[in-house]
Amino acid sequence: MTLDDATRERLFGYERALAHPASLGIVAGVLIGLVISGCLILCLRQRMENQTYQELFARWRSWCWLIGGIIAPILLGAAWTMLAVMVLSLLCFREFARVTGLFREKTISAVVVLGILLVNFAALDHWQDDRLFFALGPLAAALIVIVTIPLDRPTGFIQRVALGVLGFALFGFSLGYMSNIANVGNMPTTGTVKIDYRPILLMVLVAVELNDIFGFLAGKALGRRRLLPMTSPNKTWAGAIGALVLTTALVCGIGWSLFAGTPLQHLGWLLGLGILISILGQLGDLTLSSIKREIGVKDVGATLPGHGGLLDRFDSLVLVPPAVYHYLSLALGEAGPLGANQTFRILTSGWGG
Amino acid sequence: MDQWKLEPARDLELSGAARHRSYTRESGLVANVARFAWWSAMRASLKVLHRLQVEGNENLPAHPSFVLVANHSSHLDAMVLGSTLPLRMRDQLFPLAAGDVFFHTPALAAFSATVLNALPVWRKKVGAHAIQQLRTRLIEEPSIYILFPEGGRTRDGAMKSFKSGIGMMTAGTEVPVVPCHLQGTFEAFPPDTYIPRLHKVSVRIGRPRTFEQLENKRPGWDKVTRVLESDVLALQQTHD
Repeated sequence: MTLDDATRERLFGYERALAHPASLGIVAGVLIGLVISGCLILCLRQRMENQTYQELFARWRSWCWLIGGIIAPILLGAAWTMLAVMVLSLLCFREFARVTGLFREKTISAVVVLGILLVNFAALDHWQDDRLFFALGPLAAALIVIVTIPLDRPTGFIQRVALGVLGFALFGFSLGYMSNIANVGNMPTTGTVKIDYRPILLMVLVAVELNDIFGFLAGKALGRRRLLPMTSPNKTWAGAIGALVLTTALVCGIGWSLFAGTPLQHLGWLLGLGILISILGQLGDLTLSSIKREIGVKDVGATLPGHGGLLDRFDSLVLVPPAVYHYLSLALGEAGPLGANQTFRILTSGWGG
Repeated sequence: MDQWKLEPARDLELSGAARHRSYTRESGLVANVARFAWWSAMRASLKVLHRLQVEGNENLPAHPSFVLVANHSSHLDAMVLGSTLPLRMRDQLFPLAAGDVFFHTPALAAFSATVLNALPVWRKKVGAHAIQQLRTRLIEEPSIYILFPEGGRTRDGAMKSFKSGIGMMTAGTEVPVVPCHLQGTFEAFPPDTYIPRLHKVSVRIGRPRTFEQLENKRPGWDKVTRVLESDVLALQQTHD
């Protein structure tokens, strides 16, 4: 094990939680938003029916728990962030498995769980050039495919194997990229402010969640032509475009201060990042809508009062992290990929090779 | 497990205690692993601490559904009966347990559902509807019930008379019912104690019976109940 000072600070250094102005801004903005929305619900209590109030309040309370659960580990340190990502992956996969029936296939479910654990181990260890992390994509998929062959039960083979691979790809590998982004400890910059993973993850999460809300509001205000009525009857073109414009503007705004002194402080790169997050966010939402529509359920669970399952809330996130990771690495050019200047093989440094 | 179905869990819209108390709940990987650990530990500890002796193993049906009924004097009873079955049946094994004891608080309900796979029977208001649900599950899905027809643990060691719930579940079905007799569990872990004693425990498993020729009505239910009660008493008399 090699735990040098820089690594320890990245993994457990909660003292630096709000060191970056963008982190401070985002956290303050989110907390202010929560307080204002809470006050609004209380003030409007007299004007609405009791049931509407109860639902809104349940929704708001769930938001408080969610936001606390997301922000706290990110601020505390990269190790906690990875732990939280792993738990999120496992819970999302559980809901996916229960809604598709894959949970009845214990062997495949166990391999997906193993894959999720390994993905996060690979991120934490930060294996040379993240080779282990990237290798787990094809390797875990292959294991999911072959593991049930010895059971000699070909009925349903294609469906259960495909669902296993899809579940791992979306909730293990894709969400696991957030753990990999947590390996950013000190992004090369010409500026004076140290850039770590915190403002990057916070920006991505805030952009993805606000993308949903922007879409909803723009759709309510201007929506007429429906986007994909068979998949998701409430989504409109106006909502999609409104979300695209507003989220891109938000990402450009936050990104400009976040990436000060790096090649990313460039309007072209930031516009691209905003568009990427917004479009993939909406497509993630539609991916889950398609799954729910085919199965014929409205929500994938009942974990969060007012929201449905955890996956009903995090559906927009599932496609975003890999795209953001590789896009930022590409933009950094010589200074990339993300996390390249950090100590490699933190846990396995004593092992051969 | 044999048929692949692209179908959501039946209890998808339930969460927390409501889900754990539901008769339609379906469990996944976590419960599967927890039950493996639980039943492995149970078998080992019953063998080592209580020198568990099983007689009549060959009478157990090879495949679910079936019902095990026995005299009831201790919390160990269901553990002993569960330990006579192969581990691979652990997800199909449902001890029917008193709702007011095993499902009282949400934490207890989570344990009883996840680890024991128990289904609650609410003793003060066992509705015909609940028994009908249990009967349907037995017919439609491979299930194994552990049921104590006395309706509670004996306080003095003597067997109480059987209640007719078992008849309402099995009269007119092809589901085999296996009468069993447990000995030593009252001495090992009587009601109102908290720690089991090192006392020898043994179980005799009788011949299974089916009641497909009886009608699913009061006289049929009573017949089932009487027949099983005399079966268990007969096992008791030859149990040494």
